[in-house]
Amino acid sequence: MRNFLFTLFLVAFSVANGQDFKFGKVSKEEVLEKIHPLDSTANAAILYKSENTYYEFNQNAGFTLVTDIHERIKIYNKEGFDWANKEITAYQSGSDRQKIVSIKGNTYNIVDGKLEDEKLHKDGIFDEEVNKYRLKTKFTMPAVTEGSVIEYSYSIRSPFLTNLGETRLQYTIPVNRIEVKVKIPEFFGFKLHSNLKSRLIFNIDKSGDTFRYTYQEANRRSNGLTRSSDYSSNSIDYNLAVYEIKEDNIPALKEEPFVDYLENYAAYIKWELMYTKFPNSPVENFTESWEKVTKTIYDGSLGKELSQERYFKKDIDELLKGISNPETKISLIYDFVKNKVRWNNFVGYYADNGLRSAYKEGVGNCADVNLLLTAMLRYAGLTANPVLLSTPDNGIPVFPTRNGFNYVISCVELQGQTVLLDATDPLAAIGELPKRARNFQGRLIREEGSSDWVDLIPSTVSEEKVYTYFGLNDGLQLEGKASKAHQGLYAKRFRENNGMSDEEYLEKLQLKLGQYTISDLVVENKVSINEDIKEAYTFTAKNPVEEINGKIYLQPFLFNAVQENPFKADERNYPIFFDFPFLQNEIITFIAPEGYILESVPESGIFQLNGGEVKYTFIVQQNGAILNIRSTLDLPKTYFTPEDYDGLKKFYSQIIEKQTEAIVLSKI
Amino acid sequence: MILRKFSVYTVVLFFLVNSAVAQDFKYQSFLLDSSLTANSHAIIRENLTEVEVLAVDKMLIRRKKIVTVLNKKGDGYALASTFYDDNRKIKHQEAYIFNSVGKEIQHYKERDFKDQSAVGGANLHSDDRISYLDYTPRSYPYTILFESEVVTNTTIFIPPWQPVYGYNASIENSSYRLLNPAKVPFRFEERNFEGFSLSKKVSEYELFYSVSKIPAYVSEKLAPDLEHFTPKVLIALNDFSLVGVTGHATNWSELGKWQFDNLLRGRDRLPEETISKIAVLTKDAKTLEQKARIIYNYVQEKTRYISVQLGIGGWEPMPSEDVDKLGYGDCKALTNYTKALLESQDILSNYAVVYAGEEKRNIDSDFASMQGTHVILNIPDGEEDIWLECTSQTMPFNYLGDFTDDRNVLLVKPEGGEIVRTKTYTAPENLRESNTKIILKQDGSFETQFLRQSNGVFYGNIYQLKDQKAAIQDIVYKEDWGHLQDLKIESIQYNDDKDKQQFVEELSFTGQKYGTKAGKRLLLPVSFLNLKTFNTAETKERKLPLEIRRGETIVDYFSFLLPEGFEVESIPQSANITSEFGSLDFQLNVIDGGDEKKIEVIRSYQIKKGSWPAEKYQKFRDFISEVNHINNQKAVIITNL
Repeated sequence: MRNFLFTLFLVAFSVANGQDFKFGKVSKEEVLEKIHPLDSTANAAILYKSENTYYEFNQNAGFTLVTDIHERIKIYNKEGFDWANKEITAYQSGSDRQKIVSIKGNTYNIVDGKLEDEKLHKDGIFDEEVNKYRLKTKFTMPAVTEGSVIEYSYSIRSPFLTNLGETRLQYTIPVNRIEVKVKIPEFFGFKLHSNLKSRLIFNIDKSGDTFRYTYQEANRRSNGLTRSSDYSSNSIDYNLAVYEIKEDNIPALKEEPFVDYLENYAAYIKWELMYTKFPNSPVENFTESWEKVTKTIYDGSLGKELSQERYFKKDIDELLKGISNPETKISLIYDFVKNKVRWNNFVGYYADNGLRSAYKEGVGNCADVNLLLTAMLRYAGLTANPVLLSTPDNGIPVFPTRNGFNYVISCVELQGQTVLLDATDPLAAIGELPKRARNFQGRLIREEGSSDWVDLIPSTVSEEKVYTYFGLNDGLQLEGKASKAHQGLYAKRFRENNGMSDEEYLEKLQLKLGQYTISDLVVENKVSINEDIKEAYTFTAKNPVEEINGKIYLQPFLFNAVQENPFKADERNYPIFFDFPFLQNEIITFIAPEGYILESVPESGIFQLNGGEVKYTFIVQQNGAILNIRSTLDLPKTYFTPEDYDGLKKFYSQIIEKQTEAIVLSKI
Repeated sequence: MILRKFSVYTVVLFFLVNSAVAQDFKYQSFLLDSSLTANSHAIIRENLTEVEVLAVDKMLIRRKKIVTVLNKKGDGYALASTFYDDNRKIKHQEAYIFNSVGKEIQHYKERDFKDQSAVGGANLHSDDRISYLDYTPRSYPYTILFESEVVTNTTIFIPPWQPVYGYNASIENSSYRLLNPAKVPFRFEERNFEGFSLSKKVSEYELFYSVSKIPAYVSEKLAPDLEHFTPKVLIALNDFSLVGVTGHATNWSELGKWQFDNLLRGRDRLPEETISKIAVLTKDAKTLEQKARIIYNYVQEKTRYISVQLGIGGWEPMPSEDVDKLGYGDCKALTNYTKALLESQDILSNYAVVYAGEEKRNIDSDFASMQGTHVILNIPDGEEDIWLECTSQTMPFNYLGDFTDDRNVLLVKPEGGEIVRTKTYTAPENLRESNTKIILKQDGSFETQFLRQSNGVFYGNIYQLKDQKAAIQDIVYKEDWGHLQDLKIESIQYNDDKDKQQFVEELSFTGQKYGTKAGKRLLLPVSFLNLKTFNTAETKERKLPLEIRRGETIVDYFSFLLPEGFEVESIPQSANITSEFGSLDFQLNVIDGGDEKKIEVIRSYQIKKGSWPAEKYQKFRDFISEVNHINNQKAVIITNL
């Protein structure tokens, strides 16, 4: 009874609102609406979206996975026009391909006070074969102007029965109503996972249903002389699991500057295949734990690839002749693989070429390269294992699934320590990973098949040390020496940004430092990637020194001052990530010229965030004409919550204040 | 050392020429001419383009290139790919990779090339596809030999010869051959041959050019495009075909007429309903300009830009009837539609083909061939023509901005083509004026009222800001004025005056810690907002000419109201500098109104449009550095508290 009343109420509500979500039943009110009632900044809004997924059975073709989609979108202004262009991606694999069918669409406008619709015609729909794996269907809605409501529907017919993928529930524009229904026959078992990074919670109703499929069967008889057939009607009953989501007023996914992969924060449901259970076949289990996922991958081909060593045996024996120190072995093999096999920019945890041919051809995907590395390390008697991980654009896996991984690196154990290696990056030193592999945690698989999580976020602090020593000459020009040591990931970053000749680097430095004239530039260890980068130069400059009314003003942080606060926005909705934990040390020594005294110098200060977790110290010491400043920024973690934002912003503003303070010299 | 290397090279070559090993030696890269390795990421060892005209509507294009890549940055020169479509078929593609000693390490046949659609992200549809080799270099240097052959029914585009086509790549040999067994009459024109030793053979129906040993050019900022100072040969057939549609032209008048007859004629029909609607809309408009303005506004409200490149190789606009119905189209379709609407009210306009982009590129007035990347609309109106960008829903009437300004375009008229120049925005027209009042507080914080007007090309680069979300507007200013600490934008008001083509921004904002504290004193940068000039701090000797594409004028007024209890100790001197590149006038005043003490700054900066030889670059650098120096000065204020 209660249900009934509720339904009645709902109907009444929709009628009152003039909302009818049947295709074609767009109301005048919807077209006349000028701004979104809940989000005045919205350029467009999804008034309604329904997504119906089910398995269609056909006696000849068997099952087809069908998804019917219907969307009604309001375009408020010109900035929202992009929503009138739709692009649908379909996948193909060999002769299996997803098909986009039954596209229909309408655009609704008010013309001379009347509601008019314009149909989407065939000539506005385009199919494109992007490459071997991807197809695209694009269409653009006709007669779209500010205020238009567009509506379209289409179906995706897929032969990939076990892949339900992802159900998107949030967009960069508001959604007024979404209805999702997924009916899954008992032959497939799926589990649902929400995106934990999204702060939205959706109710998912699960219920059961049955389906009867009736078909004709021919029974052939033969008595040796004549043949005859008769037909009998048969039917199969099977159970359906039905999942439903109905939700109103889903806010737009907020766009913010400096958010990598905004999509990772959207609300969605991912469908994990648990098992298949076809009639007359045994139940086939797919995934249920990370342990198992990992094992499945390992047993897939990864384990086998790792066990073969014949093709490289001779070369490694040669390489390691007379070497017994395990560290030297690691270093030699790591360099050997890097030089021998180039990464072709493809990710994946299964070897594309196969290790043996990658080795022979000198090119391979990420698995080719890093599994080869692992196999060689093992061959050399070291405990080395592959580590599966997900690159940031693949997101952080929300449930145990093979798709949750898309990359593999190597891990070697050395005196109880684990050292991570990625030979796809020529600039990564031992224990360093490229940014693409530094995503949260990875799954290490041991030789016997057991597995464990390992942290991929760098835990060691990378350090930058700067010494600046300077004074003023008789012409009141700045003169001095600077040296800078880049350690750890700072060194890696330097090599990535400046993989060029000394001459080119000088030019670049000169451009960056503008008013300074740089000479005697020396850069050490550009090639030896396990060493710190050391750069040193001398400099002169006139402009930074201000002589006003017999006093000299100058900012002692000549080159490395934080000039601008990286945190500019007033608020932040998403977490903040730093590339790696770091320590920035700067020591400045300034010698006042003869005839002048240091009239005023900056004051020392210590600033902290989150109870000393992050710390900046600024220590000033004056000894006659000699001024010493020691500045240390200690940021030992990489992840901050949106709640930390204000604190971080203020903290950086304090650093800037200290680093831009001037000293005043006056004539004696 | 360099000399010695070179002589070894010569000697070895001497012995190997014509021997069997010579084939291999050609691909080695351990001995290279130092004049070619200097500044090079890649060396174009050989680059042969051979065009064979088999008929007016059949042409073969064969390419062979051998490139030695010296480092990762040179990989782009080793790209082995061919574009194709329904009217352009690949007949052959093959590639070889050689290691540094010239040994073959890979051989790629036709089937090893990957296939992909070449519909750019911005395009909704076209039939362009690309067949490419996905090669990952194992080590450097390596050498690639790539050969391709395509056949096409389009002969209206004969590939030009442009041996230098990029920076940091030297040319060992480059040649071009036009074979013409069909004896189709053709025209050609040479450019920038001075200073290069080229060899050529020209006959009535054929051409041959070659050049060798051109050292690598290094890119320099504010330099003209390579095609303005490196050799180029332009070629066009007098009888041609565009995807099977044939024609004859020897000059712009004929080519323009052909384009009109074959691409535009008859594609301008409109429904009666639309014509009468337009007639009603424009019935009270007195002048041609007023009518055109109403029609342009109608198009902007009714249509949107969608790139669909279809029809006669993508050169034919969608019929105006279809645009009327669908409400979208590409530049050709929307321009043609606007033209049809104007015509319905007896206003004559011209379809104008242009090279679009911030870099000004001309339609070559001296050489008639199929050119251009974009279409705009020209309306003759007395002394000064009206120009319309029909793909924009927001641009003012008769505004081109830096996308299509100041360049030669082709007017496609029914009576024939004509080359004319689009509007130039002069330095005084490109005016940006600001007025900023800053109230300084004792703690270094400040409150600001800011007003800025943008005109000319400045207008086009900013007016769309008003349609952005508040968070984006907020961050745009914070990024722009990153030197101001803890900026809080309190209010933003925009006034987009489309008639005056002027954009006005009115902001109030606050911030912290202006100036540098030095004990009791505060050092105040007198330029509250940065002046964007150029970074000319490089030390290398300038090789290429200096080119400033557009002049501009920036006038800023800053008034600082000092905090209570502060006195002005000193202000920088006013200054005025002028040079052939531009000028800066910097005026400072202290206004002592008893309780209210103010520093007033008027900064007027102008940069001129022009081209200067490389030798003048140092003078330019001196000018910029002086401008920057004057700008970066500080006043000192001192507290008596």
